[in-house]
Parts: sequence; C-alpha cells; structure tokens
Amino acid sequence: MADEEPEKTYTWEGDYERTWEAIKEDEQGSLQATVDDIIHRAKRKRLTDRPVNVRLGMMRHLFLALDMSQAMQIQDLKPDRLTTTVKLLEKFIDEYFDQNPISQIGVLTTSNMRAEKLTELGGNPKRHITALQACKDKPCVKEPSLQNVLELAMSTLRHMPSHASREILIVMGSLTTCDPGNIYNTIKTLKEANIRCSVIGLAAEVRICRKLCEDTNGTYSVILDETHFKELLMEHTTPPPATANTEPSPIKMGFPQHVLNTEKDKTEQPSMCMCHLNSKDDKKLSAVGYFCPQCRSKYCELPIECKVCGLTLVSAPHLARSFHHLFPLDDFVEVQRSDFENEDSLFCQACQSHLTAENVYQCPKCSNLYCLDCELFIHESLHSCPGCASGRPRPSQTEHMEVD
Amino acid sequence: MTTEEEGCLLVVVIDVNPVWWGSSPRKKDKASLTLPQCVDQILVFVNAHLMTSPQNKTAVIGSHANESRFLFPRKTTSHEDQKDVLSQIISLDGKYEQFTKVQTDVMEELKDLISSNTVVSHTDTLLSGSLAMALCYIHKMEKETGVGEKLRSRILVIKAAEDSASQYMNFMNVTFTAQKQNVTIDACILSKDSGLLQQACDITGGIYLKIPEIEGLLQYLLWVYLPPLSQRSNLILPPPIQVDYRAACFCHRMLISVGYVCSVCLSIFCAFSPICSTCHTAFKIKAAPLKLKKKKKMLASGV
Repeated sequence: MADEEPEKTYTWEGDYERTWEAIKEDEQGSLQATVDDIIHRAKRKRLTDRPVNVRLGMMRHLFLALDMSQAMQIQDLKPDRLTTTVKLLEKFIDEYFDQNPISQIGVLTTSNMRAEKLTELGGNPKRHITALQACKDKPCVKEPSLQNVLELAMSTLRHMPSHASREILIVMGSLTTCDPGNIYNTIKTLKEANIRCSVIGLAAEVRICRKLCEDTNGTYSVILDETHFKELLMEHTTPPPATANTEPSPIKMGFPQHVLNTEKDKTEQPSMCMCHLNSKDDKKLSAVGYFCPQCRSKYCELPIECKVCGLTLVSAPHLARSFHHLFPLDDFVEVQRSDFENEDSLFCQACQSHLTAENVYQCPKCSNLYCLDCELFIHESLHSCPGCASGRPRPSQTEHMEVD
Repeated sequence: MTTEEEGCLLVVVIDVNPVWWGSSPRKKDKASLTLPQCVDQILVFVNAHLMTSPQNKTAVIGSHANESRFLFPRKTTSHEDQKDVLSQIISLDGKYEQFTKVQTDVMEELKDLISSNTVVSHTDTLLSGSLAMALCYIHKMEKETGVGEKLRSRILVIKAAEDSASQYMNFMNVTFTAQKQNVTIDACILSKDSGLLQQACDITGGIYLKIPEIEGLLQYLLWVYLPPLSQRSNLILPPPIQVDYRAACFCHRMLISVGYVCSVCLSIFCAFSPICSTCHTAFKIKAAPLKLKKKKKMLASGV
C-alpha cells in the first residue's frame, strides 16, 4: 500500500487510476482468470520486495495489543470487529510461532481507558490462544488508552536482553485514545528503548498512530477488508530487520533429549513436568519428556525457558526452522513459454503438470521450470527448490543442457 | 455426498541409488533382494493401496544419487490423454488396467532413470529433492480435489543408502512444510539408520521402522504401512523410537546438549567465542569485566 512516502500518498491525492482497464474477460466471459492473475502478481511482488542481506532480529519479543473499546463492537467486519480480530489473531499466533520458533509473544488489551495484561511473554501458542478466545465474551467498554498500553508493554520489554528484537503490534479499532499524560513523551522513551511499534487500524488513519510508527520504525496500515486485514497481520510474521542498537551476543541454549519410557527400564522415575505443575485439570505422572541438560527439570514441550535455571531449551529443528529467513531461496525468473523450442512439451519440475500458461518460472540455479502454483508454494512454504535439492550443483546443469 | 469417503494419496519415494543396490557385500549375500525384486514388492503394495478404496491415489518417485524423477504418473500433456491410455491397455491376463499401467510406467521410467545416469560419483541419495517434489505434487492434487471430496496425503520413503549431510537444511524445510500441510512422512529403512528421517517421522507423526529382514519387505509394507492413517491408533505398531534432537556444533561437528547460539545467524557453538565464525559478528562482551576493573582502579586510588 502507500507506505513509502507518508507525505503524499493518500489515494485521493494520487493520479487517476484506470483500474478497470487491467481486467479482461476470457473466452467464457469470466473475470476470474484475470483476478487470479492479479492476486498472484501481488503475491509475487511481495515476495520479491523483501530486502536481501539485512541483519534480522531473529529472537523476537512481541506484545500484541488488542483494542477492547466500544469501537470494536461495530459490525463493519462480520459478525463484528472483535470476533474477526480474535479469529485472525489466533491464526497470526500460530503462524508467528511457526516462522519464529525461538521467539516469544504476549497479549495485552485496552478498554475503559486502562490497559490490562492477558498473558505474559511466552513461547506457548496454546496459552495465548485460549486467553484470546476468552476475550470474545468480554464486554467492550468505553475508550482505549494508547499510552497506557504502550507503557505496560514497555515495562516488560525494556528488560529484555539487548540482542532481542522488541516489538509491539497494536490492533486499533477506535479513532480516539484517552491518555493520562503526554503521549509524545511515551513515544520518545519507546524510541530510546529501541522498541518497534506497529499499528493496524480498523477504521481510518489516525495521526498519533502514524507518528508512533514512524518514530519507532514500525509500520502503520489501515485495513480495507477482512482479507487485507489478514495479509497485513501475516506480514508481521516475518522477522523485521534488526535495528542498529540491537547488540549481537551469543545466547546459551540447551538441547534436551526426548526421553521415552520405551527405553529398556531406564532409571527415570515417573515425574511431573514443570509446565503443567500449576494447572489444575490434568495432573499426569509420566516418564516421557524433555529434561533440561543443566538442572534436569522436565518439560513436555519445546521450545521453553527452563523455569528453574533459566536456560533456553530448544531442539535443533527449531533453529533450522528459522534458517530460511537467513538463507532465503533465490527468486525464480519469469520467462515466456514461447522462448523455448519445445514449448508444447514443457513440464513443471515439481508437480509434473503440463505447462500451458504463457509465463513459466525458472530457477536461476538449476534452470528447471515451474508452474505458478508450485512457484508460490515453493517460495511461501517450502523454501527449497526441488530441482536444486535433487541435483548436484554441477551435474544438474549439464543435464539441463542435454534436455534443451 | 451422503457418505463422506476420504481418499488417500500415497506418494512412495524409492531410493534407487545404484551404489547401494549394487554394492559388493550385498551381492555375495544370496538372500538379499535385488532392486527389481524390491520394486516388484513395492508395486504389490501400491496396488493393494489402490484396491482398498476407489478414492485412493498414488504416485511413485525414484530417488537417484544424481536425480529425482516421477516414475508414476508419467508426464502427460493433458488429463484426457491419461484416460485414453488407460482404455487402450488391453488387459491380457484379466488384470485391472490401472495396475498394468502403474507397473509398466514404473518399470519403463526406472530403466530410463538408471540408464541415463550411468556415472555416479556419490554414495548418498538426494532424498530431500524427491520429498520436495512429492510435497509439490500433493499440494497440486489437494488443490484439484473438488468440493465435498477429501484427500489425506502421506509419503512413504523406502530408504537404502546413507544420508546426505549437505541436505540438512533442505530436509528440515521439507519436514516442516509436511507438518504444516498435514502430510505424514513414514520411513521404511532397508539398511542403516537415518537421523534425518527419524526426525522427519517424529515431527510429522509417521512411523519409522528399520526392517530387520529385507526379504520380508512386502510383509512389513502390508502390515505396517498399508492401513489408513485413521486406523493407526487401533493397531499395535512398532513403538516410536528415541530421536536424538541434540544439535551439532558448527565448530567441531560434535553433538552437544548445552551450547551458545549466535543471535544474528543462529549458528551453534560448543564454547563461547568473541566472534561468530559464520557471520563474523563481533559479540559485545557483557559489562561485567569492565566494572571489575573500575572497582580495582577506585580501590587503588583510594589507597
């Protein structure tokens, strides 16, 4: 959207756009094909727009702040703003932990001119999601307070280690905020504390939100509809570039082994896991679990911070999950199918389908061809090229020469 | 749509690495299977899978040391062609046409794959490429399924040769994508244990089994891997194995249980070092030593 130049980018200030000319009917008179094409192009553009070779803040500490004011009861999103937001935020939390397995999240709400902490920073998606779901039934009261919620998030975030990326993401339904003091001072302290604030507005642009995001290097966006809302949220799942003030440091981590009781009569006694010690519902004794290599306390899932000795416990695949942000897959080159001699007998390397569309996509490394569906799938979730992965660097090139 | 029939797409990845299949100790052992015999057994298993439900589908991928290739279905220009070919096959022995097609296609493609890759300079198989292709194919098939139809997918890897260490990252990407797509990865190991597949099976909830007797391959396939995913909980299957999730440090390639991770590039080191050897970041050493010096100085000046 229009985020590059905040001074002069309102739609009504820009040039007249002939949007209808971009759409053409196909043989059956359907618009679906062109619409799909436009969507695909937009997706591809987003993928190619990603900055390369930027140091990223891989260990994120993010506070989600949810507006619970009266404005969230408005029914412009169906059934109402709050229900839609909660539904999308649940997806966001899942996707966030999928993309950033060693990061943490916390949830805040603001209503009745106050701010409230729903969950502390933590790495367990389930806990946050259940807390969010409980939000649905709570009443939406009066006005939100931007300052209070920022102060509350800051009180925790400023104590986070300096190598971590500190972030706040606010979903704001209200156009007003009721603050106890001067919010400019809060913005200044946020900037000093190196906290990145982003706001997603559900109604219209608000000057103070834009100011907040600009000063703290965040992004500010206002939704158009539900799908756009989802896209904006999902943009926040990729780790942001690290700010200059984040200090790199080695982090001590533990890689606990998963102990199963199928092992021939281990000395392990059945024990309780540290994560469910305080929960009332299911107290189960078992010998299965992950044991902290430093203090031997037991946990039933990873990643987690050891409650006893404070060691971050992860498994090697969790770290590997984040690698694709650091070593992104090269963009495929869009080529015309008619450029090839054997244009009628080209196949997608990944899914074996016959390539019939005009444009096909070629991996710059292994020169294999892909269809649009596979290209998007490879870049959005697979992050490794099937052609490159199934060929040795040199033989694959010679092979392709033979094929041509 | 009164009965909710759930089809299952089974993608079989066969390791056809000629180095392993033709290795000399195996040749001396008379009891061991040859590749064609093994493929025959796998085809019986595939046919059994196709027979359990009319909605079931299958694909077979051959994973070579140099290349990965679909053995079935073959590349066809359009869907009509495929149907035409099926009707053209005259079943001589009363065999179901689909079975004949699977068998002839797999055998022809396999011959072609082996004969076009005569020079093999590596002993490891490029499994992650085959798995990536399998996932793309599954993604495509699931997109094509109509409304009201359901398609559960799983991948069965029949692995013979050793792991390729250079493919760790690709393998992990594939594993996590499979987990996200709700695709189960099962593994049937013919020789050496594979650390990568152990993790993949554990993460996606599949069965990992190293078969003790290679001659009994078909029996293991039919007993362990044929039942649909929904019935697995009712069966007594091989117990889950202990998976080693410890990380190998980048400096000595040793498995460690406590280590240091660079906050910038997530490289793992077994000991503290002031500079990350992967991304050359100089770490800021905590202020603690500085303070100590100051105190000493202050003490010195005080005295």
